[in-house]
Amino acid sequence: MNDATRQARSPSDRARQEETRAKAMGHIVLNVTLAVLFIFLFLRAGSLPSSMWEPLGSGSFPRMVLAALVVFNGLIIATEVRHFIAMPALPAKALTGWCYQHRLAFGVLGLFTLFILAVPILGFRWSSLPFLIACQFLLGARHFRGILIAIAVALVMSFGIEALFRDVFTISLPRGLWN
Amino acid sequence: MADFFLQALGQVGSPMVLALITIGVLFGIIGGCIPGFTVTMAILVVFPFTFAMDPISGVSLMVGVFVGGYSGGLVSGIMLGIPGTPSSITTVYDGYPMAQKGEPGRALGIGVAASFIGTLISVAVLVFFGPLIASYSMKFRPWEITSLIVFALTLVAGLSNGAMLKGLLAAALGLLITTVGYDRNSNLRFDFDLPVLGSGFEILPVMIGIFAFSQLMGNLEKLRDDKSDIKDVNTNVAIPYRQILVDMSRQKINTVRSSLIGSLVGALPGTGGTVANFISYDQAKKMSRHPERFGTGTPDGIVASEASNSAVAGGAFVPTLALGIPGDLPMAIMMGVLILHGITPGPLMFEQNPVLVGAIYASLLIGAVVMVLSQLLLVRWFAKISLIPQQVLVPVVLMLCAVGAFALNNNLFDVWVLFIFGILGYLLWKAEVPLTPLILGVVLGDNMERQLFRALELDSSWLTFLTRPLSALFLALAVVSLLFSLYQNRKIRLHALETKGE
Repeated sequence: MNDATRQARSPSDRARQEETRAKAMGHIVLNVTLAVLFIFLFLRAGSLPSSMWEPLGSGSFPRMVLAALVVFNGLIIATEVRHFIAMPALPAKALTGWCYQHRLAFGVLGLFTLFILAVPILGFRWSSLPFLIACQFLLGARHFRGILIAIAVALVMSFGIEALFRDVFTISLPRGLWN
Repeated sequence: MADFFLQALGQVGSPMVLALITIGVLFGIIGGCIPGFTVTMAILVVFPFTFAMDPISGVSLMVGVFVGGYSGGLVSGIMLGIPGTPSSITTVYDGYPMAQKGEPGRALGIGVAASFIGTLISVAVLVFFGPLIASYSMKFRPWEITSLIVFALTLVAGLSNGAMLKGLLAAALGLLITTVGYDRNSNLRFDFDLPVLGSGFEILPVMIGIFAFSQLMGNLEKLRDDKSDIKDVNTNVAIPYRQILVDMSRQKINTVRSSLIGSLVGALPGTGGTVANFISYDQAKKMSRHPERFGTGTPDGIVASEASNSAVAGGAFVPTLALGIPGDLPMAIMMGVLILHGITPGPLMFEQNPVLVGAIYASLLIGAVVMVLSQLLLVRWFAKISLIPQQVLVPVVLMLCAVGAFALNNNLFDVWVLFIFGILGYLLWKAEVPLTPLILGVVLGDNMERQLFRALELDSSWLTFLTRPLSALFLALAVVSLLFSLYQNRKIRLHALETKGE
């Protein structure tokens, strides 16, 4: 049991500490990933051609920016590691709980991925229609009236938007493989 | 300039453009009054519709959204007690209590009148200072422009509430995104042998992805947390015009002061309506003979908040048009839209596109008139619209973002760019990285690299950045802004520790 755990006086204190540690862990994972990516790009930018008659080569500006990014990431990681160490260990199911809390966002992102994949095949109209209905259903349109509204909104925003862009703005949205 | 303004007024006054401004204002108000939608999101949703328009029509529509959006937040703020946009938070402090006392019409009327006057004063500030700053900045050479961009980025990063390092990280990440693709000597950078990356990333899908996804996913998290049902709101509102005239006649100094604060704050990079309405509300309270009435439903509070946040609209155009540096997030998107129409905002715009500059002035003025008429006549409908649930809003906005990204070049790759940067934006938002510096970095990155190259081509010594007075001043200001931000961060940390200790 570390100092922080001993100092946690109430369940809400404990919950706050767990949240701080979870956040710190998330930030460390993200910043380490970014730092690795930036170091890789920094090395790659080193092979970009330099100019004979200009003081800066192709890779100079990106390398300056990438060097700054690596430094900023390093400093953020150092700060977050301090927070992480100071707080008690997370319960075993913390990650599962976090994923469950973000299920709506993940669900919408998943549906959006399917929507983009479907556009070249089904066309804009027929991929946006199910996307809009499924999304509204996922976010809470479960009763008869809600579903009716969801279908009406989906029809207007898929067929209506397609017609608006085609006939008024003369911009053709994807029509799919069968059109 | 007067000739160009009249010429622009002629074009903006055509029935088609007037209709577009009206549509823009109405959409802006609707966007502003739906909690969690924001002015920026309203601009993002409308911009694909400008692709097929000529620059004046497109810009007029966007300006309409801008004017409407800044005033729209007051409807939900007063009727529901939920600010439609962050820039109307202080409107709630007095507007909601006044509505609860049975005077929602009076609160809305005062807010609309203050918004109208705020917009007019900010247009006057823009007309006076825009050309003045632009003509002065014509003297800027590459050293000054590079240092100015560095200053703008550090200022915005430093203003990121206690997260300076993360703000700097975001700004640098924005600059990095602009280095993908062909450089000025036709060398390919970071293309990973993918032909689609040759031309780099389009600014708009990147900006929309970063902003819209984080905002919408954030709204979903609130949807998860907020189990309460939608409040039962009485939308039958009558505006007591005579009472409002009396109220506004007692608020002359407050209105002018708040409008000037809004214009000034709007002109500073990275601040925007949220900062403006807090400063202005605070000043109004300090200057008032009855500060104890603030927060209980006094007209002074509504006027201070609404005049200042609407005045941001004109103020934010000053650095965008005169220096090519956007004042806030909506203006960064606006700048992206101008670039899309082949117009590069900056000092040269006043010489090369004076009619368009005049059209922006005229659209702001006409937009303000349309805004006040729409708000007064249609307020009960706006109050009803502000109840649109997130379950409808989120999928529709996501789909419109995809349409916007696709319609830019008729290219599905841009939709993938939108999606990938959307996920990146969401992850960064979850990691409490401020997104405004990132978007500013994306908008300014190309220009910064170009100016840095030119500066070193003209004189290969880096010391020139410090020996030229104005360039040195901007760099010194950048350092001061970072030091001030460090001081603020320390103060916030100590305050948090004290609160914890108690």
